[in-house]
Amino acid sequence: MAFGNMRLQQRLMAIMLLTSASVLVLTCAGFFAYEFLTFRRSTVRQLSTVAAIIADNSTAVLAFADRPGAREILSALKAEPHITEAALYDENGNVFSIYPEGRGAAGIPSVPAADGFRFEQSFLIGFQPVVQNDRRLGTLYVQSDLKAVSARFRLYGAVAALVAAVAFLASYLLSRALQRQISAPIMALAETAQAVSDRRDYSVRARRIGDGELGLLTDSFNQMLNQIQEQLGRMELLNQITRAIGERLDLSSVFQVMTGALENDLPVDFVCVCRYDAAQDRLTVTSVGAKSGALAAELGLTSQARMQAEGSGLEKCLRGEMVYHADVSGTGSPFAERLVAQGLHSLVLAPLIVESGVFGVLIAARRMPDGFSAMDREFLRQLSDHAALAAHQAHLYGALQQAYEDLRRSQQAVMEQERLRALGQMASGIAHDINNAISPAALYTESILESETGLSPKAREQLQTIAHAIEDVSATVGRMREFSRKKEPMMALVPVQLNRSLQQVIDLTRARWHDTPQQRGFVIKIETELDQSLPVVMGVEGEIREAFTNLFLNAFDAMPEGGTLTLRTRVVRNTLVCVEVSDTGAGMDEETRRRCLEPFYTTKGERGTGLGLAMVYGVTERHGADLEIDSEVGKGTTMRLIFPVAQYAAVEAAPSPQAPAAPVHVRVLVVDDDPLVAKVLRDTMKTDGHDVSTANGGQAGIDAFLAAQKAGAPFDVVMTDLGMPYVDGRKVAAAVKKASPATPVILLTGWGQSLLADGDMPAHVDRLLSKPPKIAELREALMLSVPQTVR
Amino acid sequence: MAFLKGKAAWVLVAMVLLGLPGLAAQASPDREHRIKAVFLFNFAQFVQWPDSAFAGPEDPLVVGILGEDPFDTYLDEVVRGEKVNNRSIVVKRYKRIEDAKGCHVLFISDSEIPRTEAIFAALKSSHILTVGESDLFFQRGGMVCFATEAGRIRLKINLEAVQDAELVVSSKLLRLADVAGPRKE
Repeated sequence: MAFGNMRLQQRLMAIMLLTSASVLVLTCAGFFAYEFLTFRRSTVRQLSTVAAIIADNSTAVLAFADRPGAREILSALKAEPHITEAALYDENGNVFSIYPEGRGAAGIPSVPAADGFRFEQSFLIGFQPVVQNDRRLGTLYVQSDLKAVSARFRLYGAVAALVAAVAFLASYLLSRALQRQISAPIMALAETAQAVSDRRDYSVRARRIGDGELGLLTDSFNQMLNQIQEQLGRMELLNQITRAIGERLDLSSVFQVMTGALENDLPVDFVCVCRYDAAQDRLTVTSVGAKSGALAAELGLTSQARMQAEGSGLEKCLRGEMVYHADVSGTGSPFAERLVAQGLHSLVLAPLIVESGVFGVLIAARRMPDGFSAMDREFLRQLSDHAALAAHQAHLYGALQQAYEDLRRSQQAVMEQERLRALGQMASGIAHDINNAISPAALYTESILESETGLSPKAREQLQTIAHAIEDVSATVGRMREFSRKKEPMMALVPVQLNRSLQQVIDLTRARWHDTPQQRGFVIKIETELDQSLPVVMGVEGEIREAFTNLFLNAFDAMPEGGTLTLRTRVVRNTLVCVEVSDTGAGMDEETRRRCLEPFYTTKGERGTGLGLAMVYGVTERHGADLEIDSEVGKGTTMRLIFPVAQYAAVEAAPSPQAPAAPVHVRVLVVDDDPLVAKVLRDTMKTDGHDVSTANGGQAGIDAFLAAQKAGAPFDVVMTDLGMPYVDGRKVAAAVKKASPATPVILLTGWGQSLLADGDMPAHVDRLLSKPPKIAELREALMLSVPQTVR
Repeated sequence: MAFLKGKAAWVLVAMVLLGLPGLAAQASPDREHRIKAVFLFNFAQFVQWPDSAFAGPEDPLVVGILGEDPFDTYLDEVVRGEKVNNRSIVVKRYKRIEDAKGCHVLFISDSEIPRTEAIFAALKSSHILTVGESDLFFQRGGMVCFATEAGRIRLKINLEAVQDAELVVSSKLLRLADVAGPRKE
């Protein structure tokens, strides 16, 4: 195993053991080196000492040539087992005696070498002079093997090995014990780190073992874990809040969620959010934390409370800066003083910024001075960013919703209008056909009643009934045509007594408020508080009546279980007349109240057209009147119409209709694609003595007119139908005027009233008559149209 | 030299050992006395004389021969140029004991045996190492005797006599010799 891969414990052990081993080795090496050197010296010294003694003792034996004595002396060397051989040389350098006894002279130097000791191979040899009283008597040769050295070194080696082993063992045991001091805290730390990274559990803590750097390290590690845990908690909280506010699409609930979360989870002692209106430099408290309510009341920061931004102490924040007051008690602003009075000391003001504009401020406070750590402040900063973004999104969403709603409404209105237009066109077509169809019946009936004098009274009565019926049909068709009318022409204003109109409407709607409720078993009471001195107002009575009718019907619909309808009229400041229609019905909520005047807005489902109040509104607009609505859900609704008082009293009398003049005999060309209509017109006008020709269709009419002109017997009047295939009445009129500009053209049409109402008189047409025409109208038209020359 | 046996071999070895210059060339004296001459000289090495035995530090050590000289001139050759304790060595020959009072080593020739009583009496309280060749000499009070036994020269020392003469004989010499007489405490 490479050192780098070893576990800490092993590493520490290895370090300690290596250290002690190297110390031991170095010590032993030094010791051995010293021993080696000193031992050689001491060996030389020992040998030389022995040699000196032997040499000294050998003087006499040499001097007196005592060979046995010499042998005896040399044999003393037995005491030194390492001395392997020795010899005595006499004065002349000849071998005198050899040790050990019996050994041959082989190997013994034949002559003594220079005095002194030296190592030769594995031996130490020495030549020692034998001197007596300065007189050299001979030389001693000794040779010592170095077994002593190696034996000694072996001994030393064994001792050193033993010592080393013991020391190593001791050092191993010590290391084992001591390395725990270092490795245990680190291992504990490593285990904790492992546990943290494995389980992502930042709540575990390393056990602190001992003081010193390792204790410090453990503390720092734990501290770090604390911070990570706290940071994670904050991130989680931020995440949670962001998610929660991201799900909300309206500003107030975004703020509510944010304040709630801050109160519960950060937590703070006080939190609120203010909207900032830059135009008015005004702050409005939008949201106050649920638990901050009491404090907010004390601080004057209750919901919807307003304050001027200037002098509030929030100016810096409103410039887009995050502001932190560790202790507000020193700042001196009135707002700060209010906070201090409530025991709040540390304050964070976080701006809510959208597209570089501050639109609000998040205010968070704690009782503790310097209660917001840097982490808290960063958290609040990020949160305010998120909240601002969410608020912005909510705002965008609202705008989008509004735009979508508007689009939907206008689309619906367009569709409604289109539907009505189509309906109107259809009604118009039907009316045209009906008018054409009943024209003969109408004209003949009238003609008979007028010209046939011999009719029985019963026949005359029946014919008159027929005439009334035809008139009713005509009126009905006329009303049907109103559908297609785009704009009400401003009718003539007449003085209207509103009290009377109300009474008429009460009578008209009797079925709804009296009969129907009685059948169903409930009662609608009508109370009137009418000012009898009410001045007249200028208006179209029928429209006003219709408006009142709509108001009444709405009121009845609002009281399906019965109730009271109260009608009041009064004069206001002599210039206004006020009419109130109050019910005790269901009432309207805010949204309904706001939208009830919109066309096609209805709360009645399929039963309603959504046009009632829109029509009322239109009427009041046209009359220069105001419409006020008071309504409360469950209590009822009061609709108030305020008309200006009429400024003049005198009313011009309507001009009396001109009396039909005596018939004149004229040549009339009748152009109609409907032969029945052409025939009845011809018959009717012939009865009056006119010369009537008919042409079936436009082109035939033009041809007939031109032919008559060419023949020198032109027609005095051309009466043409408007709606004809290929060549319609307009073209006929144009052709006639082109050929003879003076010849009057009377346009007869099933759409006549509609054209009139629109003020749309086609070119080249002198008069319009609507179908079915009345004899009087025909006569009048002819009278007014006939040129003077003819007349 | 294994082939050399007996007396002949011994002599040869002794001659080689002693390494006397010109030994081979000189006919006289006999080999025994040549060795004894060297021994006589060597005694001076192993014996210490009291200071009073010398007149001054530079005074020579005198080796005297009383009576018949068995060494011929050989002794003179042996001591020529030698020094003992910085003292040169002088060989003197005496006819009468009275003359020998100034010497330090006195070889008393066997010829003087009959007069030993008188000689030792004369030498009483002198610091002279007396050396002889015969047992008789030794028995009568001679200090050192070169006794030839079975072809070997043996040394005999009368320690009592030596100590009486206030001479100190080296223990190394004593180890070689047969010591007679009690050692003075």
